[in-house]
Amino acid sequence: MSQFTQQVILGLLLGGVYVAVALGFSLVWGILNIVNLAHGALVIVGSYITWDLFTRWHVDPFLSLPIDALVLFVIGYALQRGVINRVIRAPLLFTFLLTFGINLIIVSLLLLIFTPDFRSVTPSYSGSGLHLGSVTIPYIRFGGLVVALLLAGALWTILNRTRIGAAILAVGADRDAAQLVGIDLRHMYALTFGIGAAFAGVAGGIISTFQSITPTAGDPYTLQAFAVVILGGLGRVSATVAGGLTFGLIEILGQSGPGPGYANAIAFVVLVIVLVVRPRGLLGRLA
Amino acid sequence: MRREKLGILLALTAVLVTACGGASGGGTPTTGAAIVFGAAVSLTGAQSKEGGLTKQGYDLWLDWINQRGGIVVNGVKHPVQIKYEDDQSTPNLSATLVQKLITDEKAQFILGPYGSAATATDAIVAEKNGVPMVEANGAAQSIFSKGYKFTFGVLSPANKYLTGVLDMAATLSPKPTTIAMLTANDNFSVEVAKAVEEYAPTKGFQVIFTKQYPAAAPEVSGLISQAARLNPDIVMNSGHLAESIAINKGAKQLGLNAKIFAYSVGPSTPDFIKALGPDANYVFDGSQWTPQVKYKPSFYLSVSDYVKAYKTKYSTTDDPDYHVAESTAACLAFQKAIENAGSLDATKVRDALAGLDVMTFFGQIKFDSRGINTFKPMVVEQIQNGAHYTVFPADVANGKPQYPTPSWSSR
Repeated sequence: MSQFTQQVILGLLLGGVYVAVALGFSLVWGILNIVNLAHGALVIVGSYITWDLFTRWHVDPFLSLPIDALVLFVIGYALQRGVINRVIRAPLLFTFLLTFGINLIIVSLLLLIFTPDFRSVTPSYSGSGLHLGSVTIPYIRFGGLVVALLLAGALWTILNRTRIGAAILAVGADRDAAQLVGIDLRHMYALTFGIGAAFAGVAGGIISTFQSITPTAGDPYTLQAFAVVILGGLGRVSATVAGGLTFGLIEILGQSGPGPGYANAIAFVVLVIVLVVRPRGLLGRLA
Repeated sequence: MRREKLGILLALTAVLVTACGGASGGGTPTTGAAIVFGAAVSLTGAQSKEGGLTKQGYDLWLDWINQRGGIVVNGVKHPVQIKYEDDQSTPNLSATLVQKLITDEKAQFILGPYGSAATATDAIVAEKNGVPMVEANGAAQSIFSKGYKFTFGVLSPANKYLTGVLDMAATLSPKPTTIAMLTANDNFSVEVAKAVEEYAPTKGFQVIFTKQYPAAAPEVSGLISQAARLNPDIVMNSGHLAESIAINKGAKQLGLNAKIFAYSVGPSTPDFIKALGPDANYVFDGSQWTPQVKYKPSFYLSVSDYVKAYKTKYSTTDDPDYHVAESTAACLAFQKAIENAGSLDATKVRDALAGLDVMTFFGQIKFDSRGINTFKPMVVEQIQNGAHYTVFPADVANGKPQYPTPSWSSR
C-alpha cells in the first residue's frame, strides 16, 4: 500500500512539472491560436539561466525562477512583436512552420553558447526529503509542484481579476471586436506570448534541478505540453492543472504497473479515450 | 641552336633530379593522391555531445597522420582527408549521408557514426557499396550478427560493459549479493543488461529487480522508488548519460542506498562529475578505455602522449574520455590495414582488416570472424573525490575500489 502511495505522490510531483510546462503553452494556444513548437526550447532557455546563475554565483535555483520569468518574458514579447505577429492571421500551417524554425534557431544558439555538454543543477539539499513512514517526498520536487500551483493561481488571477487579463481573454474571444473597443492587438499578442514564455522559463528552472539539460532536451516537453492540453482541455487554467497532474500520475503508475515502456502508450490511449468521450478535454470549454 | 642545347640541358637536369629522387625514395616516399574518408557523425541533436567526442577522436589522428605526410601505401605517401556529414542524431539520416559520402564525395573508406542504432543502418550501406567501414561507437553485437563482410568494430562488444563490475564485486568484502537493474530499451542497453542477467548467477549474484524504460526518458523516479524498497546491494543502469544523471539524482532524493552504483554509459564523461558534483563520487562504470591503462603500443602515440596531444589540440584540462580514444583507434585500424594491404583497393583493405592484429594505446585491435574486437578487455572505473580512477582489473589499475558506498545521509 505504501508503495502505491509513494507512486501516487511521485506521480503528482511529476505532474506538477507538466502543469508548469503546459500553462504557457495552453495560454498561447488558447488565446493566440498558435501551437508553439518552440515552447520546449523556451523551457530549456529557462533551465540554462538557472544553471548559469547557480554555477556562476551559487544562486539558489528557486530564487532564480523570477529571473527566468523576466528574461523569458522579454524574449517572448520580442519574438511575438517582431516576428510571429507578422503571420498571426495566416493559416495555422504558417505559425507551425515559423515556430518550428524558431525552435531550431534557439536550439542551435544554445548549442553554440553552452555546447552540447550535459548540465544539471545540484544544490546541497537536492537529496533531502520529508520522510513519512516509508513514503518519501523529495523537497526539490515538492518545491516544483508548489511553484507550478502558484503559477496556475497567478495565471488565473491575471486572467480573471485584472484589466490586462480581461483584454487578453477578449482578444482570445474575438480579435476584431477586441480591436473595435480599443485594445492594442499587437501589444496584447506580444504580452500573451511573453507571459507564456515566462511560465516556460520557470518550468525550465524547476526541471534543471532534477534532470540533466542539454540544448535539445526541450523537444519532449513540447510534446508533453501538447498532450497535457489536449487531455485537460483548452481555455481554462484548472483544465491544464487537471491534465498535467493526470499525465504525471499515468506516467509514474505506468512505470510500476505494466512497465515504463508502456507509460507513454497508456497516456496516449487515455488521451484518445478522452477525445472520443469528451472532445473538449477533461475540463475544457467548448470553443 | 642555343635554344636546343638549353632544352637538352634542362631535360638532362630533369632526369638527374628524378634519378636522385628515386635513389633516396627508399627513405622518403613520394606523395600520392589524397585518401578520402567519410564519416556521418551526430553534430546536432540528442547525441551531439557523443558525436562531438567521436569527431575529436578522428581529427586527433587526422592531424597526426598528415603531419607525417599521410598513410604510406607501397612507398607512396597519401595525405588523408575526412569528409564529415551531420546525421542530426537520426539513424536513418545517417545511412542516407553515408551513401552520399560514397557516391557524391567519393569517400573510399567509412569511419563509423555515434551509437549502435546509426552504426547498424550505416553498416547496410557500407555492405551494399562494398566500402569498408571501421566503427568505434556501436557496441551492440546485433550489428555484427547479419554476416556483413565490410564492417568492423574496434570496441569491446556490449555484453562486456558491466560484467567487469561483477568480476570486481566478487572480489570485494563483504561481498554484495543482490542486483537491481534499470535498462533503457534500445538494442545496445538491452544487450548489456542481458549479459549481466546471464553472468550474475555464475558469480553468485542474484538479480532481484529488472525493469526496462524507454530510451532517452529521463523520468525514472517511479522505478527508483520501487527498487529502493528491495534494498539491493548493487544498482546497475544500462542506458545513457542523461539517464545515469537522472538515476543518480533520483537515488539520492528517494533514499536508494546501495553498496555499488554502476552505470554503463555516463560516469566516464567529464559531464557526469560536473553535473552531479560530489554526488558523483563512488559511482562505478565499465569503460572501453581510461587514460590510466598501461598498454604498450606498437605504433602511434603512447597512452600518456595521447592524453597530452588531446589536451593540447582541444586546449582543455579534461582527459579524453573513451569515446574519443575508441574513435582514434578506428582510424588506427584503417591506417594499419591500408599499410598492410599495400593498396587502396576496397576488398584488399577489407581483407587486411580481417587479418589485423596490432597493439595500440587503446589496447589490442583484432577482429573475430564477425568483425567484433573481442580481444580487448573492458576496465572498471570509479569516481573518487571528483576524479576518475581505474580500479579493475588490478594489473592496469591506478587505484583501489572504495567500497562500500556510504549512505546518502552519511556523506
